[in-house]
Amino acid sequence: MKTPSAFILTFVATVAAAARLVAQDTAEPVAPQDSSCVQCHGESAIWDADKRSHFVTEADLAADIHWQKGIHCHDCHGGDPTSLNFRGAHSADAGYRVIESPKDIPRFCGHCHSDVEYMSRYQPSPKTNQEAEYWTSGHGRRLEQSPTADVAMCTSCHGRHGIRAVDDLESPVYPTNVANTCATCHADAEKMAGVQHHGRPMGHDQFEEWSSSVHADALLNKGDLSAPTCNDCHGNHGTVAPDPAAVSSACASCHVKIGTLFDQTVMKHRFEQANLPGCATCHGNHAIHHPTDEMLGMSAGAVCSKCHEAGQHGASLAGAVEAKALRVALEELKQQIAIAAGKLDRAQRMGMEVRTARFHLRDAQDALANARVEIHSFATEPVKKVLDQGLAVTEQVNAKAEDAFREHSFRRIWLAASLVPIGLVIVLLLLYIRTLPPPTVEPLEHGSRAAGA
Amino acid sequence: MSHATEDDAPATGRNGRVREFFTERFGLGTLLELGEKKRVPIHRTTPFYFLGGMALFLVVVQAASGVMLSLYYKPSPDQAFESVQAIMTEVDFGWLLRSVHAWGGTLLIAVLILHLLTTYMMRAYRRPREFTWVTGILLLGLFMAFGFSGYLLPWNQLAFFATRVGTAIVGAVPLVGDELLVWARGGENVTGDTLARFYALHVAVFPLLAIGLLGVHLFLVQKHGMSVPDAATNLHGNRVPSMPFVPHFLLRDAVGWYLALAVLALLAAVFPWELGEKAEPFGSAPEGIKPEWYFLFMFQALRELPAHFLGMEGEMLGVLFFGFCGFVVLLIPFLDRGTRTRRVLNGLAVVSVVFVIAMSIWGFLE
Repeated sequence: MKTPSAFILTFVATVAAAARLVAQDTAEPVAPQDSSCVQCHGESAIWDADKRSHFVTEADLAADIHWQKGIHCHDCHGGDPTSLNFRGAHSADAGYRVIESPKDIPRFCGHCHSDVEYMSRYQPSPKTNQEAEYWTSGHGRRLEQSPTADVAMCTSCHGRHGIRAVDDLESPVYPTNVANTCATCHADAEKMAGVQHHGRPMGHDQFEEWSSSVHADALLNKGDLSAPTCNDCHGNHGTVAPDPAAVSSACASCHVKIGTLFDQTVMKHRFEQANLPGCATCHGNHAIHHPTDEMLGMSAGAVCSKCHEAGQHGASLAGAVEAKALRVALEELKQQIAIAAGKLDRAQRMGMEVRTARFHLRDAQDALANARVEIHSFATEPVKKVLDQGLAVTEQVNAKAEDAFREHSFRRIWLAASLVPIGLVIVLLLLYIRTLPPPTVEPLEHGSRAAGA
Repeated sequence: MSHATEDDAPATGRNGRVREFFTERFGLGTLLELGEKKRVPIHRTTPFYFLGGMALFLVVVQAASGVMLSLYYKPSPDQAFESVQAIMTEVDFGWLLRSVHAWGGTLLIAVLILHLLTTYMMRAYRRPREFTWVTGILLLGLFMAFGFSGYLLPWNQLAFFATRVGTAIVGAVPLVGDELLVWARGGENVTGDTLARFYALHVAVFPLLAIGLLGVHLFLVQKHGMSVPDAATNLHGNRVPSMPFVPHFLLRDAVGWYLALAVLALLAAVFPWELGEKAEPFGSAPEGIKPEWYFLFMFQALRELPAHFLGMEGEMLGVLFFGFCGFVVLLIPFLDRGTRTRRVLNGLAVVSVVFVIAMSIWGFLE
């Protein structure tokens, strides 16, 4: 730290210390602008590159949730904010808390965040297990083993100073920013080199894969904040990569019905026996794309064929036949829905009443969606039952569309038939005209040349 | 008004007394006398006279069906399409009303164009009928404007984008194009404001103008009588064969009305007017956007013009050209000054008709 003129510093310190002694006597808190911390740590020029992290800007403090709640430097760091003397300000007697290694940081934050009584001042039922969870996480365990390890801790994700509330749009842990925050390390090939998980290299393509997923699309492009990002599956403070057997539980936290169906299947046990990661076996883990019907069956691109074609992991050929049959049934309902919708569109363009039928067709679309869910039961019967309900609806809708076409034709026929009475009137008029006396030749009053015609 | 002798004649029976009551109060005697005295010349092209009557009949059909549609139509972007859908599906014979109104409009323009061409061929615009011609041309323009404004009202995809293209042409008018475009659309784009504006024009402003112009046109037709073509006067001199208007011509006219009704029913039966799909202003324009057939020649010609021509924007030049042509057509009675100018006018007329037909076919096939 560079020192300014010793005379000026000593003078200012003496005057300030005298003034603050009076203030201390009155036991009033130190106002931020009077804190000696800011006077040094807020001065950019006095912090060299190697100690730059000690420099705190006004903007950092203004955005910081702690600062906004009235929690100032010495509330976290301890020390004497009234002292302009370095030793006095950082004295252990005044409660100054030293951070000697990264390992100290979770405990530093946990000093308050693990204190239920203290945190209750800010939230009626505060969550105070972050630090405890952290030490159980992959990050925490690694830090525990190696105190100097370059591993994520509180400040890595939340920032050091300028810590924003988690619901602040600019917070690095706001749902839309979480993946980018994790990617700071997990997409860095250099940082992730040599990092192992379950005995395999962890890799660094998770962020890239997730970015192409249906979840990223929902979260980032469609603004669905409930769509999962890293922490929704891996946890946040207690981050762990789920065990293969636990994957389906993670997915089921949102996909409840599918999870329930899958839990009851033989397939789940087979997957567990083969150490396959549940849902991720077919849908992938980070690059989870929008599921398509092409995934079902044994044709190219179908996920069933991966195991059932070669009898891998004990998969049977009978399962392949069943998968093919389900795909055919699914396609049939889709085709019938498309035909019915096409007929309704045509009838509607004609101006026929098909709104009720169109509303009814939604039941068939619901049946299709339900069948796609029921497929996760890996049983033919329940899927066929739902598909049959859908087919029955399309049949009724098709019949209503045909009724509309018939009504339209009926109108046209009757309109054309109206030509008969119209023609009859024309004939009668012409016959009557023939009975009139023949026209005479008379000078025209208005049609003559004289009239200028 | 002097008391006519027929008014003084004693009325006999109940019908006679009723007739006398109204004749005395409305001066119907003059009208009846006019009907009895009015005669219509007989010659080779007499059937052309029926076109005016057919047009008048179709105007009445349009007014009647339009009034009935307006009982159910709701002119707002949220409700316009749905209200037309309700007219076609829920209102008793609403589908028939809409079909008749839509086809009636297009048939009326067709009849008016034929009326214009036959009037030109018979040179019925000559002195003293110059303003019968002028009001007729203005009426044709007005009914085309009726068609253009009415086209948007169902607020379907085709109507919305055709109106967007059509009103954009207004923007090409030199000097005041931008202001005219904003005035026509009620803003920069085709929106609910455009719909409200077109509806007001279609059901209030244009009908008032039509009543005024049609009144003057019919008064002038009545005042000057039917024009006799040169061929007939050359053949018969001042004694051209004629028939009384009532009942001889009126009954033949009625045949024309029924023929128009038959064509209307046939068109509605063979080509039912569809509802289409609701307009999506922020969606992309559907393929094959075309205006009504009577604007197609202008639309196609403007589309084929180069972007820049003779140092001007092509579209602007096209709009100026069509505006000038319309002005020339309006002034035909004053331009026909003798054999030489008549030959020039006839030549231009033939070229114009061929151009309009060719461009329309091209536009239709495009």
